[in-house]
Amino acid sequence: MKPRRIVLNLTGLLVAAIALFPVYWMVLTSFRRGIDIQSPDPSFIPFPGTLNNYRKVFERDFFWTATKNSLIVTSLTVSVALIVAFLAAVAISRFRFRGRTALLVTVLVVQMVPAEALIVSMFRVLDGWQLINTVIGLSLTYLVFVLPFTIWTLRGFVEGVPFELEEAAMVDGASRIGAFRRVTLPLVAPGLVATGVFALIQAWNEFIFALVIMQRPGSKTLPVWLQEFNEGARGTDWGGVMAGSTVMAIPVIVFFLIVQRRVTAGLAAGAVKG
Amino acid sequence: MTVTTTTEPGAPPRVPVVPVPATAERRPPRPRRRRSVLPYVLIAPTVIVLTVVLGYPVVRLIVQSGQEYGMAQVFGTPARWIGFDNFRHLFEDRYFWTVLRRTTVFCFVNVVLTMSLGVLVALLLNSLGSKMRLLVSTSLILAWAMPALTATVVWQWIFDSEYGLANWVFDRQGESWLADPMSFFGVATIIVVWMGIPFIAFTVYAGLSQVPADLLEAASLDGAGAVARFRYIVVPMLKPILMILTALSTLWDFRVFTQIYVLQQAGGISRDTNLLGVYTYQLSIGQSDYGAGAAAALLMIVLMCILTLGYLRSMFKQDHI
Amino acid sequence: MNRTRTTRWIAAIAAAGMLIAACGDDDEESSTATDAPEATDATDAPAATDAVTDTTAADTGGGGDSIRLWLNGGDTPDALVEYAIAEFNKIHPDVEVQFERQEWTGIVEKLTTALSGSDSPDIVEFGNTQAQTFEAAGAVVDLTDKRDALGGDDLLQSLLEAGTYDGKLYAVPYYAGARIVLYRKDLFEAAGIEVPTTLDEFLAAGVALKEANADVPNFSGIYLPGRNWYAVLSFIWENGGDIASKDGDEWVGELDSAGSIAGLEFFKELFDTANSAPADGDDANDYIAFCNGEVGMMPAPGWKPGQIINPDDGCPDMEENIGVFALPGATAGTTAPVFLGGSNLAIPVNSEKQELAYDLLTILVSPGYQEQFAASGTIPALKSELAQVAGSDAAVAQAQAAENSRFVPTSDKWAGVEAANILPDMLTEIAQGGDIAAAAAAADSAIEEMLNG
Repeated sequence: MKPRRIVLNLTGLLVAAIALFPVYWMVLTSFRRGIDIQSPDPSFIPFPGTLNNYRKVFERDFFWTATKNSLIVTSLTVSVALIVAFLAAVAISRFRFRGRTALLVTVLVVQMVPAEALIVSMFRVLDGWQLINTVIGLSLTYLVFVLPFTIWTLRGFVEGVPFELEEAAMVDGASRIGAFRRVTLPLVAPGLVATGVFALIQAWNEFIFALVIMQRPGSKTLPVWLQEFNEGARGTDWGGVMAGSTVMAIPVIVFFLIVQRRVTAGLAAGAVKG
Repeated sequence: MTVTTTTEPGAPPRVPVVPVPATAERRPPRPRRRRSVLPYVLIAPTVIVLTVVLGYPVVRLIVQSGQEYGMAQVFGTPARWIGFDNFRHLFEDRYFWTVLRRTTVFCFVNVVLTMSLGVLVALLLNSLGSKMRLLVSTSLILAWAMPALTATVVWQWIFDSEYGLANWVFDRQGESWLADPMSFFGVATIIVVWMGIPFIAFTVYAGLSQVPADLLEAASLDGAGAVARFRYIVVPMLKPILMILTALSTLWDFRVFTQIYVLQQAGGISRDTNLLGVYTYQLSIGQSDYGAGAAAALLMIVLMCILTLGYLRSMFKQDHI
Repeated sequence: MNRTRTTRWIAAIAAAGMLIAACGDDDEESSTATDAPEATDATDAPAATDAVTDTTAADTGGGGDSIRLWLNGGDTPDALVEYAIAEFNKIHPDVEVQFERQEWTGIVEKLTTALSGSDSPDIVEFGNTQAQTFEAAGAVVDLTDKRDALGGDDLLQSLLEAGTYDGKLYAVPYYAGARIVLYRKDLFEAAGIEVPTTLDEFLAAGVALKEANADVPNFSGIYLPGRNWYAVLSFIWENGGDIASKDGDEWVGELDSAGSIAGLEFFKELFDTANSAPADGDDANDYIAFCNGEVGMMPAPGWKPGQIINPDDGCPDMEENIGVFALPGATAGTTAPVFLGGSNLAIPVNSEKQELAYDLLTILVSPGYQEQFAASGTIPALKSELAQVAGSDAAVAQAQAAENSRFVPTSDKWAGVEAANILPDMLTEIAQGGDIAAAAAAADSAIEEMLNG
């Protein structure tokens, strides 16, 4: 191996280690008894460990219901957000139209609104529409909070594709939509994934809106359900929280691994076909 | 498996070669048919969703900022109109200015760190082999996927004064990391940057894949070094993405909440470590003074507009409006 | 190829979303039928996995009526809830009680929205320091007329204060918890120390224990981390101080009064000489320190021994070494005032079944229910049932401590003081060597600003 490669790989390992350490600690803790979670002599291996925390997670009431709710809310949010935002991003970066700047500024300002200040009003709106305790209600809430971000980022990606490329394809005889699909879409795909993953993580982990909007036990999402391990003044069952968090992270990883392969493959195809 | 990197020698041209003047400002999008309805159709879903769902809460936020609005008003007592009193109280409160200054500094430091480290990691991802890249990107996604609350708690354990790993490593039993505001913000910065890097790195990396490989190759043949290639080809091409990311990071770090809140509960002195996000929360939920909370929120929005002014201006310039 | 792949992928995600959503909606519509058996309470106690099963999430539109009962955290045992529901069904056989256990985390946000919305529960529990805020806002029904039927003068005084706003009773006392002192019997014996009978003896015993166990790293004769403000309140009160007092309509901070300063000085001396817990810690980890053998004595809530000997997460071997006593006062034979934590119950104004809710509420504070509550080791809301507190030494010591108990300033603004961490911040500063009088004065003005603001 060339020295350059070795240095790069070592740097890569270092970055991976720093990124992973807290994750590793979470997983480690999920195998510990409460009393061993914090100790004057920390141990870096999960043995001797216990599976008790995982048993508590899977046996606890409403775990599967909460998982189902989380899956529905997240997939609804991500898919709708990507479609809606992509359309808007194309309009913004490929067209000049009246109201374009107004839209851009509005979308940016929406990003600035502190969500904590809107909790009660959002609840009021959804309550008026009878959407409290429904996945539609929560998904709508998440949608408005991920949309602005998704539009902004996707706009960057669409603009990153030089318009001349599309023009060149059109000169070659492709229709405008054809040129767009053949040239722009594949190049924007990594952006769709990056923003998609972002929206997914936001929706999957969100707590405070889920807490106030999904009030019935059967409508809780996973982050809210996870708080059941926190007993306030009576302390928190950290083993349970960490086991729950670990379980919660799995779908995200799986999704990422699937998408990651798909997209790189799609990218390659796009590159070859040009 | 993963295929192709922009640096792979002999990779087939990813996109048709186009003459993009390397240092030139990107040209604004050219107008398509002037009176087309298509763009309006495309933005319609966005406009409808934002207006319908967010319209009322935002209007209420603005109205509340001019009212005496507390818990009683939530339960139906008519709110009293007090004009700009909520704002005046904030402006007259010296503590608010302290918090504001603190927030701005914290935000600036964190954005600079997150952005520069994030871009470096993206460049690293781009030059790694496929296996190492999968390892690093999976690590990043794992870090990113950790619920914010859980991640903050784990970091807080690491810096715990009784049983923290940091104290164990440095053999300083009982050293308190959170009680002193400076080291408190040091710990907070580590957490915020650690949580912020994956998103920046992935997005920039995705952007890097849009940079035509042959352009870099051509520049390389012309004798441009790695730094020059980055400076004159990559940065201009990624400029829209980098600017958006900087603007977004500024907005997020400016109203950072969870990390500060958890660390305060774990030992930070609230008064010395409040940032605007937590302070707004204390006003609105903690003290049930929704009027003051709304005023603080609106002020935050104005401040964020000012912070991102450079970005907004360049956007307007680009649009020739 | 490429174009279809990307579009197909997006389409697939979207379709998956719709599909799951569709399933979800189906489930929701039919939730009365399918979810009923699993719609048990989400119990908090890890051990109690067999939860109350006779409550269902049936829709209100169905045949019989139903009411929703919200209780927070794990303090109410499932068996008690079952008892209450059974009693209630004797009066209203057709009415179903939906029991939903709530988490303390985020409870203020949840109550603020739920109680002001259209899907309000019919009975809710407030932490006693939160109750005032909701009472003042008019969120709950005025129960003044029913005061006698709900227990009247037999109700615990400081919880009654928390439940009363502007002379009217809104939230009925439900249960209480007082702080006691846990100690290691074996270490006391080894060091030849008797259970202290005065506050000064308490401190002296702590210092002696610390010296006797100097070989144990990080040993605390008295484990008192800097942010455990509930424990420090006892020192302040015993020395004649207070947090704040009401002068006409104005609250006046009392932390810089002579009595409070004396209490804070006692805390500082204790922190420096008998303690090794950190200045910026709270009592969340105290059971770990206790299990690690790093603790001689520690002020703690009455349920703490249970946490220590929990076989899943604690150290059951420690059980035989745990002793308890009520924190003594300045003179022998007295106890120091302790902060009385606890809960109040209320009926939201938006409840559509207030009559039914009232009937259930009556059961929850009835002697029959409270007696069983007492027997489970919790301090009941009825003074006449205090004698029933049994089960363990800790429960008995707790009941003894509760007889001399105090409360934070009764103001609807108090929740803001807690949210701003004013008291723990002051203690951390003092523990780190800050000037006591200056820290107290600063806290005073912050508290005054909030309570009078």
